[in-house]
Amino acid sequence: MLTNYIFIPIAAAFIAYILNKRNRKAGAVITALVSAYLLLSLTALYGRWDITQSFNLSLMGYKIDFLLAVNPLSWLFAVMTAAISILIALFSINSQENFKFSSVFNLNFLIIIGSMIGIVFARDFLTLFIFWELMTWTSFYLISAGKKKMAGRAAYRYIILSAGAAYAFLMAAIFIFQQTGSFAFDSAAEFLVANSPAQSIMLLLVISLPFIVKAGIFPLHIWVKDAHGNAPKEFSPFLSGMMLKIGIYGMIVVFYQLSFFKIIENTIAYRGLPLLSYLFALLGAVTIITGTILAIRQEDMKKLVAYSSISQMGYIIIGIAIATPLGFSGSMLHLMNHLIFKSTIFLALAAVIYRTGTTKMYEMGGLIFRMPLTFAAYLTAIIALAGIPPTNGFISKWVIYQALIEKGYLFLAIAAFFGSIASFMYVFKPLSTVFLGQLKPQHQNIKEVPLLMKIPMLILILVIVLFGVFPGIQMNIINQISGYLGIETVNYTLYSIQGANGAWNSLLIFNIFSAGFIIALLLFSFAKKSKLVGLLDTYSSGEYITDAESYHYAYQYYRPFDRLFDNLAAKSLTDFYETLTKNLVRSGEGLRRALAAGKLQNYALYSVLLFVILAAVGWII
Amino acid sequence: MIDIIYRIGHFVLITVFSMALGLLFMGIARKIVARIQKRYGPPVYQPYLDVLKLFGKDAITHGFIFDFGAIMALGGVIATLFFIPLGSWQLYSMEGTVILVIYLLAIASLGMAMGTVGSGNPQASVGISRALMQMLGYELPYLVILFALIYRYQTSSVWGLMQAQAGSFLNWNLFAYPLMAAVAFVVLIGMMGKKPFDSMIAPSEIGSGPVVESGGKYLGMLLLQKSITIIIELALYVNLFLGGAENILIFTFKMLIVWVLATMFGSLFPRFRIEDGIKFFWKWPLGIAILQAIYIIT
Repeated sequence: MLTNYIFIPIAAAFIAYILNKRNRKAGAVITALVSAYLLLSLTALYGRWDITQSFNLSLMGYKIDFLLAVNPLSWLFAVMTAAISILIALFSINSQENFKFSSVFNLNFLIIIGSMIGIVFARDFLTLFIFWELMTWTSFYLISAGKKKMAGRAAYRYIILSAGAAYAFLMAAIFIFQQTGSFAFDSAAEFLVANSPAQSIMLLLVISLPFIVKAGIFPLHIWVKDAHGNAPKEFSPFLSGMMLKIGIYGMIVVFYQLSFFKIIENTIAYRGLPLLSYLFALLGAVTIITGTILAIRQEDMKKLVAYSSISQMGYIIIGIAIATPLGFSGSMLHLMNHLIFKSTIFLALAAVIYRTGTTKMYEMGGLIFRMPLTFAAYLTAIIALAGIPPTNGFISKWVIYQALIEKGYLFLAIAAFFGSIASFMYVFKPLSTVFLGQLKPQHQNIKEVPLLMKIPMLILILVIVLFGVFPGIQMNIINQISGYLGIETVNYTLYSIQGANGAWNSLLIFNIFSAGFIIALLLFSFAKKSKLVGLLDTYSSGEYITDAESYHYAYQYYRPFDRLFDNLAAKSLTDFYETLTKNLVRSGEGLRRALAAGKLQNYALYSVLLFVILAAVGWII
Repeated sequence: MIDIIYRIGHFVLITVFSMALGLLFMGIARKIVARIQKRYGPPVYQPYLDVLKLFGKDAITHGFIFDFGAIMALGGVIATLFFIPLGSWQLYSMEGTVILVIYLLAIASLGMAMGTVGSGNPQASVGISRALMQMLGYELPYLVILFALIYRYQTSSVWGLMQAQAGSFLNWNLFAYPLMAAVAFVVLIGMMGKKPFDSMIAPSEIGSGPVVESGGKYLGMLLLQKSITIIIELALYVNLFLGGAENILIFTFKMLIVWVLATMFGSLFPRFRIEDGIKFFWKWPLGIAILQAIYIIT
């Protein structure tokens, strides 16, 4: 039953691979169809939170259970995965032609969809680990398939961080297995609560490592910029919109289902919050600030948006870590909304790249007159990202602010405010330099993208406005999740949410905003008609304007602001990690020279010694 | 039906009143600045003449985004206005949380930024980039102050924060938390783009920045937008720190006092460079605001 959701995409992946060799568009069509099937059958699953499925395997005397189950949390993540996959697959049908590894793209994409559904349905460590690795490796191939030279290097950084964290996770899981005889989450949670707190906390921190890496939380965020910036343009929306979130899913599992919060309940607290939770929230705050500052500096639009993803993940972490009902609901809202508006932004940028073939912002300009729908999609999405009402992004940020003010977490709030105000800066940069300003001569003949690319963007625009006016749709499932995890629920109606010190009524806001807009429109249309002139026909302080290119302000848009952070940005964490690696390699080299300088006798000695030690250990036990 | 007409009447009344009052304030400011510089200055009603003249003139446009930006800028501030209690005039002030007001104002800024950059003039882009950088400077201390006030009075609606200061004038936040009021005053000067913080319009340097391409009705709409923005920012200050007012007359009087003081301070200082302006905001106003907030939450 539940295995269908996992293995149908994986089986379809190979069919797509074979058919795609015949026809370049077949793979993407199959991906879209399979995702649509998944979405439909998942909606049928709604409300049936008692379905479980398990398999047994006897291996070398150990009985291993593979458990699958569906609950509101995993249902939500599965639905989000399927829904965004449909849109991305639709979008990518047309761009397959100029894609070098078209077949491999669709193969890997479908396997990722299947493995992500496997991750969210898994109820034991081993199943989770298997699908986690499947997802990591397939996404590694996808990232390295990017056009840029850097793509391979970015993918290596990603895989090394992910693999290191995942094997640490496996060690911790095996340790728990040895104690309890089972990989299941339930028995692990029982064991961890009964165990000594120090050891349990250590184990859970190790278990949460792969999730922290995947969610791009500071200080393990260094892979995100290059991986998201260099991945194929069709895959970036999925990578940034959905795969970062799967890390958050894992952290929710660790915090609630493996009872991390229960274990640290009685440790030292700051303003009623256990110190470890507060540290997680502070990590979120640091993530917001670093992501924001680095996003403002970028000249490459995909990297800019990748950094903005990092900073938005900070909000989600803060909300989950402070563990109040409002904080949790705000995080879940932001998680869904971030998926929606970030995919929209990446799809709009992918449309731009599809037509212009560049990601450098200063090489473009004035595309609004050539690609109006793409511009509309980008504009709606950045209004949501910057958290401006009446879009969905404001609601989720507003709920998180309410949670922070309620408890008086001043420094977390400052980071949240900073990230939100500064997001105006970085989202306006592509708007101004890519879509507005002077049109470059080489882009004079650009057309809007084909219909199949327009449809996903149009749908996403509608969804942004829909959830901006009716957040109750999202709150319904969020309250079910809260109930399932044992968190108090938040009061809401279809279009209003009750905060700690004030309510939010989105329908009213939407209406009043429309009223203000109509008044201004009336005033505008009653005045005299104006004359349309070209973009080069502007005030230039008496200078002669010769060409459009030199009359476009785009490079280093926020230079005065960047100057404030030049020193900080020069000390990048990447350098720190690289020095660490270099020193590690050097010391390893030293060790190799000392112990194994190519003498055969030494190796023989080591193997004998190892055998003796193993025999001794076995004999003692 | 009657109800709807009544409501529309309210909308129009408040909008027209705020536009008129804002333009009057702008006229007064021009007079004050002139007197400080030992000039005679234009008559107080000059801004009215300007707006009337501008709406009668021919104008040029640079495409639909230029039009859309102007409409969005004016529409955004008009919508924001309805959420703010102006003395006894309270249209939707119960629903208007103060964070909402700050973000609603951003719609207008975004509209204006989009429209002017859409004109294709690099001087407009330079002005907008400066304005956004400066916004990050002054919004941060302002939001910290709001954080402290909301935490202190356990309500985030502007009306509730105003009511919390009722009673004696010693309950006003101006006297209860004078440091916070001072910080908010500096922020107010920054918000209104007055002298030490006017690098984004810098007339002699980047041709008035954002408005460089606007003429005719576009400039008229931006002037109206400016006048309403002034009223919104002053009204927020009066509501948050001067205890609001019983009726519109006293409210207007309080706003006028704040406006005159801000104008006088604004005409005394030379212009900050952009990064120095941000540094200033993050050093003094933000530092003091954080200290005050720590005092309140502990």
